[in-house]
Amino acid sequence: MDVLLALTISALFAIGVFQLLRRNLIRSAIGMAIVSNAINLFLLAAGAYYGEVAAYANEAGQRSDALPQALILTAIVISMGGFAVVLSMLYVLSVRYKTSDSDEVKGLTH
Amino acid sequence: MNDALLIPLAVCVLGAALAGLFTATSLGQRIPTRNMGWLLAVAPAIAFGALIAQSPAVLAGQTLNWSISWIASLGLRFSLLLDGLSLLFALLVSGIGMLVMVYAGYYFAPKHADEKSSVGSGESESNTAPTPHSPLPNADARFFFYILLFMTSMLGLVLAGDVITLFVFWEGTSITSFLLVAYKSKDEDARKGAFRALFITGGGGIALLAGLVFTSSIAGSTGFADILRQGDALRASELYPVMLGLIALGALTKSAQAPAHFWLPGAMSAPAPASAYLHSATMVKAGVYLLARLHPALGLTDLWFWVLSLAGLVTMLIGAYVGFKQNDLKALLAYSTVSQLGVLVMLIGQDTEIAFKALVISILAHALYKSALFLVTGIVDHETGTRDLRQLGGIWRAMPATCAVAIVAALSMAGLPPLFGFLAKETLLATATHPNVPAIVDVVFPAAAVAAGALILAQAGLIVFDAFLGRPKAELHPHEAPLPMWVAPAIPAVISLAIGLLPEPEALATLLARAAAASYGAPVKVSLALWTGINIPLVLSAIAVTIGAAIITLRSRLRPLFTNLSGALSLEPLYTGALAAIDGLAWLVTRVQNGKLRLYLAIMFISAGVMMVTIGRLSPPSLPMTELGPRPELAALRFFLLLVIGVAALASVLLRRDLFAIFALAASGLSIAVLMILEPAPDIALVQVVVETLTLVVLVLVLTRVPREQRERAFEFTFRQTRPSLIRDVLIALGSGAVMFAIVLTALGTRPRESQMTPFYEQNAKPLTGANDIVGAIVIDFRGFDTLVEIIVFAAAGLAIYTLLRYASRKAGDRDDDAPVLDKSMLPFRGVASPITSPFVQALALLILPFTLLLAATHVLYGHDQPGDGFTAGVIVSLGVATWYVVFGYAETKRRLAWLQPSAFIGAGLLLAIGSATAAAIINGSFFSPVDFGKLLGIGFLPRGVYLSTATLYELAICLTVTGGAVLMLDTLGHPKDSDAETARQMDEIAVLRQRGEVTLDEVAESEVRGQKSEVRGERLEVGD
Repeated sequence: MDVLLALTISALFAIGVFQLLRRNLIRSAIGMAIVSNAINLFLLAAGAYYGEVAAYANEAGQRSDALPQALILTAIVISMGGFAVVLSMLYVLSVRYKTSDSDEVKGLTH
Repeated sequence: MNDALLIPLAVCVLGAALAGLFTATSLGQRIPTRNMGWLLAVAPAIAFGALIAQSPAVLAGQTLNWSISWIASLGLRFSLLLDGLSLLFALLVSGIGMLVMVYAGYYFAPKHADEKSSVGSGESESNTAPTPHSPLPNADARFFFYILLFMTSMLGLVLAGDVITLFVFWEGTSITSFLLVAYKSKDEDARKGAFRALFITGGGGIALLAGLVFTSSIAGSTGFADILRQGDALRASELYPVMLGLIALGALTKSAQAPAHFWLPGAMSAPAPASAYLHSATMVKAGVYLLARLHPALGLTDLWFWVLSLAGLVTMLIGAYVGFKQNDLKALLAYSTVSQLGVLVMLIGQDTEIAFKALVISILAHALYKSALFLVTGIVDHETGTRDLRQLGGIWRAMPATCAVAIVAALSMAGLPPLFGFLAKETLLATATHPNVPAIVDVVFPAAAVAAGALILAQAGLIVFDAFLGRPKAELHPHEAPLPMWVAPAIPAVISLAIGLLPEPEALATLLARAAAASYGAPVKVSLALWTGINIPLVLSAIAVTIGAAIITLRSRLRPLFTNLSGALSLEPLYTGALAAIDGLAWLVTRVQNGKLRLYLAIMFISAGVMMVTIGRLSPPSLPMTELGPRPELAALRFFLLLVIGVAALASVLLRRDLFAIFALAASGLSIAVLMILEPAPDIALVQVVVETLTLVVLVLVLTRVPREQRERAFEFTFRQTRPSLIRDVLIALGSGAVMFAIVLTALGTRPRESQMTPFYEQNAKPLTGANDIVGAIVIDFRGFDTLVEIIVFAAAGLAIYTLLRYASRKAGDRDDDAPVLDKSMLPFRGVASPITSPFVQALALLILPFTLLLAATHVLYGHDQPGDGFTAGVIVSLGVATWYVVFGYAETKRRLAWLQPSAFIGAGLLLAIGSATAAAIINGSFFSPVDFGKLLGIGFLPRGVYLSTATLYELAICLTVTGGAVLMLDTLGHPKDSDAETARQMDEIAVLRQRGEVTLDEVAESEVRGQKSEVRGERLEVGD
C-alpha cells in the first residue's frame, strides 16, 4: 500500500511538474494544483500510523493520526487561496499581453 | 563615562535633522540660503565649543570615555573616546565644518542681479561646468543636509572608541560623500565620480571590516583601549600579515593612496565647499587617522614600515608629478592633496618619534592651507565661471582679498617661511634624514621628499602666478566675493600665518604633542619654533625651494614635457576593467534570467532534484508490497482510487480542450477526497470536496475570461513546441517524479511508528476543548493561531484578487474590450444571466442559497463534534452564491444579495476571531484558550450539543471570513467584462422578450448555435419595439 501510494504521489508530482513547465499558462496553473494535491497526499502518508476509525474522541478502536490531517486542512486552504491569486494573475496577463503563452509575456514593466 | 562626548555628535545629528526638515518641507523656502548657512553653522560651532570645553582634561593627558551597550548578545558596545589624536581631528572636523557651512550659504545663494550680467558672460565662455544656481532659494538645503550627515559620520569616526563603532561611521562617511560628490546629479561626470569614489572606498571598507574583525577577535575585544594593549599578541599572531593587509587596504583606499588614488581627482565634481571639507581636511584623512590610531598595536614591524612607506612614497611622488600638469585648479589641488596624503602615510610608516611629530604638524598644516585653497577655488569658480588655469589670470585686481588669502595659503602649501607649512616641511625633511631609518631610506626618502617638495611648491606657484597674478584676461569679469565668503578661507590661512609668526602657542603644541603621543605610543616632544638653526633639513629645504622656483620660472616650457602618467600609475584601468566585467556578468545573467519563468522552474526542479540525490541521503528501504494496511477489505477500492487520481491527472495533460482538462483536474481532486474518506479522514474529505468545487468554479470563471483564440494559440505551442524541448520537459518531470518517489519511500520507510504529539491531542481534545473531533480541536484550539493566520491568508487572497483585477489592472490601462466576442458555451459561467436559464433552474437556485446557509450554520454549530468546520461552511455559502451568479447574473445577484458585503464579512470575521480570543485571554489568561461563555453566563436554553464557546465563535468567525474571501474572488472574477457589458444588456433584453413570450427558448438556442445571434437578436428586438 505504501509503495503504491508513493508511486501515485510521485506520478502526480511528475505530471504536475510537466504541466508547470508548459507554455500554456492555464496548464501551468493546473500543474500547480496537481503538485499541491501530491504534497497533501504526501503529508497524509507521513502520518505515524493508519487508523481504522476517524480521529474522534468518542470513537473506539485505532484512530487515524490526527496531526497530519490538521496540517493538510491548513495546507488545502492556503493553496486554494494562492491558486486563486495565480489564476487572477493569469487573467491580468491575458488582458495585458493578449496571450496566455508564458513565453510571450516579457518585460513585466508596468 | 563622560556624557559630554555625546554633545558634538548630538548637535550634528540635530543640525542634520533640521536641514532635512528644510529640504523636505516648505519651511526651507522661507529661509534664504545664506541665513540657512549661518543658522546651521551653529551645530558645528557648538560641537567645536564642546570639544574645546573638554580639551583641558585631554591636554592634561587624560583619555575620556563614553559607552553604552549596543548588541549585548555579541558583547558589542557603542563607545566613544577622546584623547589627543581624536581631539585634533575632531577640532578640525568641527572647526572647518563651521567655516564650510557659512561659506556654502553664500556659495549656493543666488547672486545679486547686478552681478548677473558680468557673470553670465564669463560662464558662457567657459568650458568647465558652471556652478549650479538653482532657481529656488531652498533647493540647496539638501547640501546642508548631506554635509551635516557627513559631519556626524566624520565626528563619530574620529571619536569612536571601538572598532565596530568606527566602522559604522566609516561607512557613513563613504555614503554621505557619495551623495555630496554626486550632488550635481544631472551631471554625468559627477555621478561617475561619485560612483567611483564609493566603489573604491566602499570596497576598501569591506576589507577593513574583515581586518578589524580579525584584530578584535585576536585581541579579545573590539574596544580600542584593549586592542592597543594587545599589540604584542597581535604582532605575534600568524594572522598579522592578513590583518595588516586588510586594514591597510581599507585605510589606504580611503586616503587615496596609489595606486587607488584616482578616485580623488574624479571626485572633484563635488561642489567646492564639499571638496574643501571632505577632500582636504576630513574624509581623506580618515585612513590616516585609523593608521595613526592603530600604530601602537599593529606598527613597529618591518611589514608595517615597508607597506606604508612605499605606498606613501609612491603616492607622494605621483601626486606631485601629475598635479603639476593639471589645468583645472581643483584637479591640481586634488593631486597635491594626494601627494600630501602620501606624505602622511609615509610618516606613519616610520617608527620614530620625529616622524609622528611631523605627522601631526603636517595634518594640521595641510588641513588649514588646503581647505583655504579649495574654498578660494570655489570663489574663483563662483565669480568668474571657470577654474581653468588657461583661462584665468590677473584676477587679483578685481578680487584682492581673495587673492591675498590665496597667496598666504599657497605660501604655506609651498612650505615657505614664515608659514606653518614651512614647519611641516622642515619636520618632514628632518624625518627623512633621521639616522634611525634603514640605510637605503637614507638616500631615497630625502631625495623623494625634496623632489615632491619642489613640485608642490611649483604647484602652489601655478595657482598664484597663473590664476591670480599675471596678465588679466579680457573675457573675465570677476567680482570680489561677499565678505563672509572670503573670510571663511581667510581664517585657516591666517592661522597658518599666526602659528608661524607668533610666539609658540603653548596649548596647540601640547595638543599636537598629545596627538602624536597617542599615535606613537610614547610621549613625543613637539615644539613649534620655525627656526632651528642651519641644519640638514634647512639645506634640503633650500634645495627644494630652489628647484621649485626654477620649475615655476620655466613652467610654460616644462609643463608640456610632463606626460600624463595618471592612467599608467593607477588602478584606473583595472577599475574600468572591473566595471566592464560586471557589465559582462550582468549580460550573462540576463541571458540566464531571460524572463522565461519556465526556464527558472526547470532549473529549480533540476537543482532541487540534484541536491536531494547528492546530499539528501535518500535511502529508500524496501517496503512490503503486499501489506494492505488497515481494513484490507477496502484495499481494492483504494487501488482503484489511486489509479483514478493518477489517470485523471494525466488526462489533464493530454486533453486538448482546457475545459475538459479542468474537469479532469477536478476528478483527480475529488478522488483524493474519496481516498480521504477511506483513510478515514472525514474532515479533510469534506474540505477537499468543497475546495475542489470552488477551485473548479474559479478556474472556469477565469477560463471564460481568456479568449478562446488565445487559449488555442497557447495550446498549439504546448504540443507543437520543438521535440527536444518536449523531451527535455518530460525528462525533468520524470526525474522529479523519481526523486519524489525516493523521498516519499524514504520518509515512509523511516518514519517513527509512534506519534510524539498525536496522543497528547487525543487525550486532551475532549477534556480541554470539549471537542470530539480531534482534528477540529487541533485546528480550532491547539493550533488556533495557525488557523487565524490561515484565514487571514485566504481573505488576503480574495482582497488581492479584487485589488489586482478591479483596481491595479485597470489603473495600468488594461482593457479586455478587444477580446474576441463571447464564447457562448461558457456564457452561463460568466456571471451573466443566460437567456436560456429556465424558471425551474431559477426556482432551484432560490432554494439552494437558504439551504447552503442552513448547512453552514450546522457546520458552525456542530463542527466540534462532527466532520466539517467554519471553513467548509464559508465555502459552501460562497458556492451557493456562485449558483446565483450563474442563474441570475451578476447585476441581479448583487441587487438581491445587497447584504452580502464581502469586505465587511472579512472584517467582521477577523474582529470576531480576535475578539473572542482576547476575551478568552482576559478570562483564562491565555490567547485562544477555550472558554464556554454559555456556561459562564448561565445561558441554559441552548440545544443539546451546541455551546456558546470560543470554539463556536471562532468557527463562526472563520465562516464569515472565508465567505467574504471566497465571495470576493467570485465577485471579481464573475464581474462582467467591459466588452460584455453591451452583450449583457442585449442578453437582458432577450430575457425580457422571453418572459413576455415574444421569443422562444428554442429560437434563442438555435440562433446561438448558428452563430447568428446578433442578427436574430436584432430582428427580435425590433419585434419587441
